[in-house]
Amino acid sequence: MSNQIAILLAVLLFPGGVFALVFGLAMKGVDRRVAARLQSRVGPPLLQPFFDIIKLGFKRTMVPAAANQTVFLYTPLVGVISMLIAAALVPITSVYAPDAAIGNLLVLLYLLMIPGIVLMIAGSASGSPYGAIGFSREMALMIAYEGPLVLIAAAVAIRTGMGMGTWATFSLNDIIAYQQTHGAFLFDPVMWPAVAAFCFFYPANLGIVPFDIPEAETEVLEGPLLEYSGPVLALFKIMSALKKVVVLSLGIALFFPLAPEMMVGGLLVWLIKMAVLMLVGITAVRLSMGRMRIDQAFVFFLKWPLLLAVASLAVVVVV
Amino acid sequence: MGLIPDFKKIATRSPWLYRINAGSCNGCDVEMAVTALIPRYDVERLGCQYCGSPKHADIVLISGPLTVRVKDAVLRLYEEIPEPKVTVAVGVCPISGGIFRESYAVLAPIDQYIPIDVNVPGCPPRPQAIIAGVAKAIEIWRERL
Repeated sequence: MSNQIAILLAVLLFPGGVFALVFGLAMKGVDRRVAARLQSRVGPPLLQPFFDIIKLGFKRTMVPAAANQTVFLYTPLVGVISMLIAAALVPITSVYAPDAAIGNLLVLLYLLMIPGIVLMIAGSASGSPYGAIGFSREMALMIAYEGPLVLIAAAVAIRTGMGMGTWATFSLNDIIAYQQTHGAFLFDPVMWPAVAAFCFFYPANLGIVPFDIPEAETEVLEGPLLEYSGPVLALFKIMSALKKVVVLSLGIALFFPLAPEMMVGGLLVWLIKMAVLMLVGITAVRLSMGRMRIDQAFVFFLKWPLLLAVASLAVVVVV
Repeated sequence: MGLIPDFKKIATRSPWLYRINAGSCNGCDVEMAVTALIPRYDVERLGCQYCGSPKHADIVLISGPLTVRVKDAVLRLYEEIPEPKVTVAVGVCPISGGIFRESYAVLAPIDQYIPIDVNVPGCPPRPQAIIAGVAKAIEIWRERL
């Protein structure tokens, strides 16, 4: 029973829920501000994403005549809930360890697919041709990046498992504990292909500029989100903020979870890692690149990240 | 109960802009794009953001004299923008037709068809004037929230 309460608290309060939401929106605010400064603009206030969410709460929600009302209004809720649960699955070194019953890499892989599926369903339920374009692009992109992700996860699991005497372990707590004693995978040459593949995976998963093809504002007018307005649109914004925290935190947990053994220090180190990853991995990347076409991105993903991921799996199994 | 007015005040710091070209000569549209895009006038510091979809918009910037051919499309677009919304007419064309007045193809003044809240005259108006118009529109929007 106390287990269930702890899981519930994790989903609603600390690594998930309120914390992840506030942190995700604050990261988005910093991202927009730094982007503006790099383009020598003044930029929005740091709290702008919070203002946006509150504003959207005051707007009316319109449902297009061509849309399926139930699906149109309730799919974003599914996405937000799945991301709340996912946020409670990712451990933060020496601060938070998920319950052994849920802290599993495989569960997380499935939960991470849900926002993409939600966007696809929302886009097709809106009945708009732009939504349909967004749907097909999201689907193509998901097919391209899910393969490398699964192989990366397998490589990490097998590397940890072989180090610990079994053949693979998908428990995130074990993965972190192994790296705490044996050194981070980031500095392990055997794991470098996997790290590189992850670097290609997360911009596609988060929809950051070189791979923001399904929601391309200037081409398909935010695709699946085109017909959304008011509080339901706010749910999508919340979903993407949570997803950003989950994916970046997962990257840290998989490859560089080293942190001091104390609560405050662990949290501080985690925050610094997230900030650096966000500024270097998201802001700088999205400002310095143009958008790929969907066919280019598809071919690119089936070439390099998949190759790297297969190579990392092979190297891990052989070495 | 005191929270709602506070939230409304916060909400007005996030006005999203949407442009409707009602048969404009593109002069005003260039000025609007400039106000958004170049660092010098950066409207993002007001929390503004240009959005591609009318469903996301709060403040509508209309340019052009409303030609006969685009009238139905403009009226439909206007309907698609969720309440509460504020309309800003940019340029002299929506007010009087500007250089196109007395043309058989022009339906200006535009406020016969769409309620206009703020007029920003000029041919084209200066970026500062457009920003002032948007700021004025934000004040009106606060009362409507």
